Amino acid sequence: MSGSIPNSLEELPVSEIRWIGKGVERLEDPSLVTGRTEFIDNVVLPGMLHCAILRSPYAHARIVSIDSSAAEEMEGVYAVITGSDAARLTNPATTAPEGWGGYCLAHEKTRFVGEPVVAVAATNRYLAEDALELIIVEYEELPVVANAQAALAADAALLFEEHGSNVMLQRKFTWGEVDEAFDQADLVVSDDYRWNRLGANPMETFGCVVDWNPADDMLTCRGSFQSQSHMGLARSLVLGLPSNQVRMISHPHGGSFGGKGGFRGVDICALLSKAASGRPVKWMEDRLEYLLAGAGQSWDREYRLQLALKKDGTVTGLRVKLLDDMGGTAEAFGAVSAAKPLAAFTGCYAIQAAEYDLTLVATNKIPQSPYRGMGPPPHNWVLEQTMDKAARELGLDPAEIRRRNYIPADAFPYTIASGNEYDSGNYEAALDELLNMADYERLCAERDSAQAEGRLLGLGLANTIEPGVFDWNAYAIVGLESTGVPEGITVAIDVMGRITARLGFSLEGQGQYTLVAQVLADYFAVTPADVSIVYQDSLSAPPHFGPGGSRLGVAITGAALGAARLLERKLARVAAVLLQCGPDDVELMDGFLRVRAMPEARMHFAEVAGAMLARSDLLPEDSDPQPQATYVWTAPGRTPADEQGRAKSYLTAANACHLVKVEVDRDTGTVDILGYWLVDDCGTRLNPVTVEGQTMGGIAQGVGAALLEEYVYDESAQPLTSSFMDYLLPSVYEVPRVEKKALTTPSPFTPLGAKGCGEGAMHTTPAAIMCAINDALSPLGLSAREVPASPRRLWKLLHENAD
Amino acid sequence: MKPPAFEYAAPTSVAEAVALLDERGFDAKVLAGGQSLMALLNMRLARPELLVDIARVPGLDSIEISDGCLGVGAMVRQRSLEFFPGLADSHPLLLAGLRHVAHPQNRNQGTVCGSLAHADPAAELPALAVAAGAEFVIEGPDGKRSESAEDFFITYLTTTLEPAELLVEARFPLLRGASGWSVQEVTRRHGDFALAGAVVTMRIADARVADPRVVAFGVGAVPLRCTAAEQALAGAEPGPAAWKEAGALVAEAVEDPLDDVHASAAQRRSVAGVMASRAMEEAAARA
Amino acid sequence: MDEDKPARVAVTVTVNGRRLSAELEPRTTLADFLRVDLGLTGTHLGCEHGVCGACTVLLDGRAVRSCIMLAVQAAGHEVTTIEALANEGELHPLQQAFVDKHGLQCGFCTPGFIMAAAELLERDPDPTEQALLETLGGQVCRCTGYEAIIESVRDAAEKLRQQGVGPLELLAAALEKNAAPGGGE
Repeated sequence: MSGSIPNSLEELPVSEIRWIGKGVERLEDPSLVTGRTEFIDNVVLPGMLHCAILRSPYAHARIVSIDSSAAEEMEGVYAVITGSDAARLTNPATTAPEGWGGYCLAHEKTRFVGEPVVAVAATNRYLAEDALELIIVEYEELPVVANAQAALAADAALLFEEHGSNVMLQRKFTWGEVDEAFDQADLVVSDDYRWNRLGANPMETFGCVVDWNPADDMLTCRGSFQSQSHMGLARSLVLGLPSNQVRMISHPHGGSFGGKGGFRGVDICALLSKAASGRPVKWMEDRLEYLLAGAGQSWDREYRLQLALKKDGTVTGLRVKLLDDMGGTAEAFGAVSAAKPLAAFTGCYAIQAAEYDLTLVATNKIPQSPYRGMGPPPHNWVLEQTMDKAARELGLDPAEIRRRNYIPADAFPYTIASGNEYDSGNYEAALDELLNMADYERLCAERDSAQAEGRLLGLGLANTIEPGVFDWNAYAIVGLESTGVPEGITVAIDVMGRITARLGFSLEGQGQYTLVAQVLADYFAVTPADVSIVYQDSLSAPPHFGPGGSRLGVAITGAALGAARLLERKLARVAAVLLQCGPDDVELMDGFLRVRAMPEARMHFAEVAGAMLARSDLLPEDSDPQPQATYVWTAPGRTPADEQGRAKSYLTAANACHLVKVEVDRDTGTVDILGYWLVDDCGTRLNPVTVEGQTMGGIAQGVGAALLEEYVYDESAQPLTSSFMDYLLPSVYEVPRVEKKALTTPSPFTPLGAKGCGEGAMHTTPAAIMCAINDALSPLGLSAREVPASPRRLWKLLHENAD
Repeated sequence: MKPPAFEYAAPTSVAEAVALLDERGFDAKVLAGGQSLMALLNMRLARPELLVDIARVPGLDSIEISDGCLGVGAMVRQRSLEFFPGLADSHPLLLAGLRHVAHPQNRNQGTVCGSLAHADPAAELPALAVAAGAEFVIEGPDGKRSESAEDFFITYLTTTLEPAELLVEARFPLLRGASGWSVQEVTRRHGDFALAGAVVTMRIADARVADPRVVAFGVGAVPLRCTAAEQALAGAEPGPAAWKEAGALVAEAVEDPLDDVHASAAQRRSVAGVMASRAMEEAAARA
Repeated sequence: MDEDKPARVAVTVTVNGRRLSAELEPRTTLADFLRVDLGLTGTHLGCEHGVCGACTVLLDGRAVRSCIMLAVQAAGHEVTTIEALANEGELHPLQQAFVDKHGLQCGFCTPGFIMAAAELLERDPDPTEQALLETLGGQVCRCTGYEAIIESVRDAAEKLRQQGVGPLELLAAALEKNAAPGGGE
């Protein structure tokens, strides 16, 4: 199938590329700027009820009794459900790793503060929240497992008694001759790091409207779903419904940045709907709920990273030890973030011996969810800092030590030690471009003289790989072992000659509908505004996954081109009949099906489509009268993971090189970002404006990660970060102006050579900022190794020599 | 996050408002701009039985200069004061301080007196009021009384206002001509509450510091008037040595600062001193 | 709380040029009144505690956070929401600028930004960088990293200056035209 997709712009049947590669006006925008887009909270259905959820105030407790009678009797309340209902009517959640999940409402015990315990459905949300206050739950507190170290203690209380320990996964992966590399090293550099919980926080929280039709047992779920089919499959498993009786309708949503989760909410609403005779039930997760127990917490990590080096700065071995606190269950697939680093374990560097000592534990914090980057951002953050430490010890400039270790430009496709293959790249060119653009020499001189005056000025250089186009095998080590993530698009031409593309995902912000329209516009020689993009639900759309793992731009390009080509062939066969020549004599060019040898003999595709639909008399008996075609794209060449997790997983490897200048205020511990430069190479830019938008968004989140964002728990695993007063999102003031340049090393593996880029700068920015802070602190012999590098942490380091 | 049910009253006179508050005591809360109260209501952390909305009381929205004071009524929005003609001349300190308060979108609705009555020690307006030597006019069932800003703030979120009393006006003495002023604060992000901050006013007379006022905020339960620092400054020769010494006295004066994820207690103490020194330097330059 | 429900309050408010009356529970937020009672769902809820600004509307031309206002507080006042800006399918210059300069990605925060920018540009048609940041600093975006939003507002300011009209002036003209007999709905 993949052989039939055009691989380059030259192969497209138009004499001029007008749309691909340009920042065209987005189709999505008029609706968004007028406030007309139907986000899930806009949905009002007849008879709709509203759900509110009573949550556990304890991190670990047995549920002794629930008295919801007063709530049930309250006027306006139509259903009340508890964990026993969930246990009776549903199956436990599927999790990765397997076996570490429970029911949508806590049953018998609760494992984290904020876990849903009771849910009500009432005529409006105000009333529903009133009803919660009438419910009395008796708890018996259990000993709390407050953090990863506590989880590992011999006498630790158990989150899941049946597992006999809190360790979800413990394995050491060894790729290449690691021990040898370290034994023979001229220098071993080692350090410990702490990355604290932070997370997605899209401006729109999760929401759903669910109805369970009692007459035909059809479950219809509307919601802000990132991956509707995936969600739907899981709903059918949990709710015990046949998969073809679960319809997921995904609404455009206000950002996701990972996993727009909320599956508990969907299941809870399903049960409430069932209890309320099939009335639709809406749950809008509010921001407090999101911060408390939503899909918003990721990467709770203790790292030890070791580099084995030759004295010329060549890295011969890499050891990464990671202890990751997954929280109370593995239901939210946060574990994939611990697996994804395999896709780019050694970064830009040609390090052929590496080891990953991975421990995932359960604690009484909330379950971790995926967040933009899915694991490499902290991994890169520790790797780049340790490279700098090695550079300092060897007296090398940070740019130089990296240069000496880059995978050379002629070595691609390059298989890294952990098994993934990088498609293409030119890291040295990116570095040189960056150093030139930023006038690195002058910056270093500035930094040196500022430091001589006692100012804490620093420069940080970080370069990373941003893996794109994920496949499930990237997460094989946490139990997800399939390969092939489909994305299907149907392209159809109607009797009036208008083009419609039908697909199975809704909008998240990356401009995907516009991209599909651009591609089809440059195939059929129309304008993007001429193409209608129609969203289809999970039962109607061709096989799909939707956004995730920086895949969608590449996947939908492939799907659109594949469908276009299949459609082109159909049109050509029909046109050949109408033009009275052989089927291979006809070609599409600039919207016309024409006889190759006699191009003036031609018909516009609209005419051909019209004939297919309205002139069956002209067509041969065996012809397919549909002017439409469906193509399902999957990444080519994926391999199943071996027993060390090695697999060709993420298809593309974009590369970014960032340089940051910071100043640390010695007296206050605050950090000012004074300059930011970057070069980024994500292959062919199908819509450069979109790419740049993704880059800036990633930088903003990276700044948040480095300096501002943190979920804090106390020693009883009580969350202390309860609102946006405590969880600090970067504002316009905190995000620096950035000088950017693009390099283009096309991918040999993707249609049109684009690489996945959606997760982008999040992979790199935290590392670059931290490296800069540490450069600023290095004259004092201090290093900051915990994020966020808050005023509290830096001041303590500066004034109490402690961290 | 929907508010719990409450009764609502919109009195049309101060007397009516006071009578309602007197009747219901602690079960009633005043609603002016709502920028502090409403978030608490949405989170169900505040559960008043009765909300007394004073926005319909005529005459509370005036800003007037009289008797050498800028009088700011209870319903004056922060933004209205910010845009009061001539504020840059009559009270540049207030203008500068207002610009640190949250964001314009909050200041459009939030009131000056509301922020004062709410008494968050990390907020700028209470500290500005103390630094400016403001007087508050309070009306209750027994009539009007006047109180200095310094006496008004008792502890975290607590003032001398009785349940039945209403803060009807804040009166800020105009900044004396040739007074230097400065507001310095450290925040996590622009517009956030201060981790620690200082407000300083002073004059320079005969090349010496005169009439210094130093107030630290964000470091304790109330804005902290640092009299030891003021004494050290009075008559001192302006310069880094004076600012350093006085700043150290500010740090020393800080009692029991908050210790939280944003800053440690020791840090707040130290940073208060640093902010004070920086404010002194800037105030002297403006004087 | 059984039958002793607090009394509903009568509220008369002008929304997007139209005078409306309703009887509401006093605890109804302005945001919910607009979204649920009036079906004006362009104003969004991002935090419900006055920080993110997704709920920003204009109250007598001033940008306010409708999630931390009660509907009753708006009684007797004029509320303007994002729905008032486009005129019979034609985008307002502020909206067009956001489209032209890619000032949005998911679009959830966008109505709030546009309304806040509308207040700024009405008052200050040629804002300094500092004035721009001050207004935009009160709104949170998680997608764009703000750079494109700043460009969008600058672009809108320039277009409006060229037209010699303020953003709200344009609105008033459109609302008047639509309210006139024989005009649109």
